[in-house]
Amino acid sequence: MEKGITVRKVVISGVLGAIAILLGVTRLGYIPVPTAAGNATIMHIPAVIGGIMEGWPVGMAIGLIFGLSSFLNATSVLFKDPLVAILPRLFIGVTAYFTYRALKRANPYLAIGVAGFVGSATNTILVLLMAVLRHYLAFGAAVTVAVVNGLPEAIVSVIVTLAVVGAWMRLGSGRKSKLSDDDADDAGEGV
Amino acid sequence: MAEFELTRNMTIGQYLPTGSVVHRFDPRLKLVAFSALVLSICFLGGYLANVVALVFCTLLFSVARIPLRYGLSGVKPAIPFIILLAVLQLLFYGAGFGAGGRVYLHWGFIWVTSDSVRLVVVSAMRFVEVIFLSSVLTLSTSITELTHGLERLLMPLRHVRFPVHAFALMITIAVRFVPTFALEMEKMMKAQASRGAEFGTGQWWRIVQRTKDTFPIIIPLFNIALARAEDLVLAMESRCYTPTEDRTSFKRYRAKPRDWAMLAASLAISALFLWIR
Repeated sequence: MEKGITVRKVVISGVLGAIAILLGVTRLGYIPVPTAAGNATIMHIPAVIGGIMEGWPVGMAIGLIFGLSSFLNATSVLFKDPLVAILPRLFIGVTAYFTYRALKRANPYLAIGVAGFVGSATNTILVLLMAVLRHYLAFGAAVTVAVVNGLPEAIVSVIVTLAVVGAWMRLGSGRKSKLSDDDADDAGEGV
Repeated sequence: MAEFELTRNMTIGQYLPTGSVVHRFDPRLKLVAFSALVLSICFLGGYLANVVALVFCTLLFSVARIPLRYGLSGVKPAIPFIILLAVLQLLFYGAGFGAGGRVYLHWGFIWVTSDSVRLVVVSAMRFVEVIFLSSVLTLSTSITELTHGLERLLMPLRHVRFPVHAFALMITIAVRFVPTFALEMEKMMKAQASRGAEFGTGQWWRIVQRTKDTFPIIIPLFNIALARAEDLVLAMESRCYTPTEDRTSFKRYRAKPRDWAMLAASLAISALFLWIR
């Protein structure tokens, strides 16, 4: 992976950030689970995918967009608090990236799946931790939410992450931009 | 077909040009003032401070000449959540965190104390205040103004090597692509539905089924988005765009005394909130 900021990283953060916002405003990003924290969400998946694909800064940037949009669109008291809505979301893509990098050598598909799970778990655990610290939820209620919301979220996250990143890795190399520094090796093909 | 029209009830980037004084403030200072107010509201714990803050936020609407119903429409969908959360906090909080104050009701493990009642009322009020504030901000400032303002505000961070311009560009791309992807998604939903797929028609308790229903939409959505990203990268690189170079901008903001006065007033009000608590 190339160092520094490239057009690719900026654009992918922006585009995946747009999906995070879209899933939020159309309510398609919610799994209807009746608990205190409202619905379970799949809006953290863009952050996971971005983290795996382009590294932790991209994951963090998408997490920030997700956090901002969930803060601005919140329909629950819990997420109208920037400390709950924004801060924990920054780390979703970061943990997903490092999990992926650690396991990549063993088996890339396993690495993607586990990264999807870890990223989702990061969201669940950190958000609920902040909710408890800011006295919105009692500890017992938070544990219930972690199981009832967090588990379906993590499962959906694993499935979607695997499908999207898997497809991108198989097809992606041919479509990659010819001008960015890291693919001097495919400069010869195509055009 | 109504359930497929995703673009209809999207409020992102909704802007109400009434030309009031709030609309004409410098977006940079408006953002600072907004952040100060929201942060101070997050720390309000008492009844008096929250009543003052609520009155202030309501007054903002009339200053900005925005009808109050725009703010209320943000609160309305939240009412069930507020009530649910309030009940949970009331039932389970008295024994733990809110154990102080007078005990109103004690039955088994349920304690209702004056502290837990205050917690419930105060969190609901803070919620309404933040909704009002952010509605005024987004209704009185266009997305372009907001991103320009944000970019200018973050400029000092360049000294710690924070990529300010890239960051602003990213936010602009994100906001720009939301309606595009909404259209794509609409097309996909209609295409799938015309082949007999069902969305949102399953019973609500069949959570697994309803979640599975969304996969044929969400996964292609990601793929389309990534393909579009590749096209955009190619287009930008072929125009020799580099995100790290210094660049000038077409629009320049110059803060007038009026803007500084607004900022000073907002900071004073935030300080007042924190002082009352």
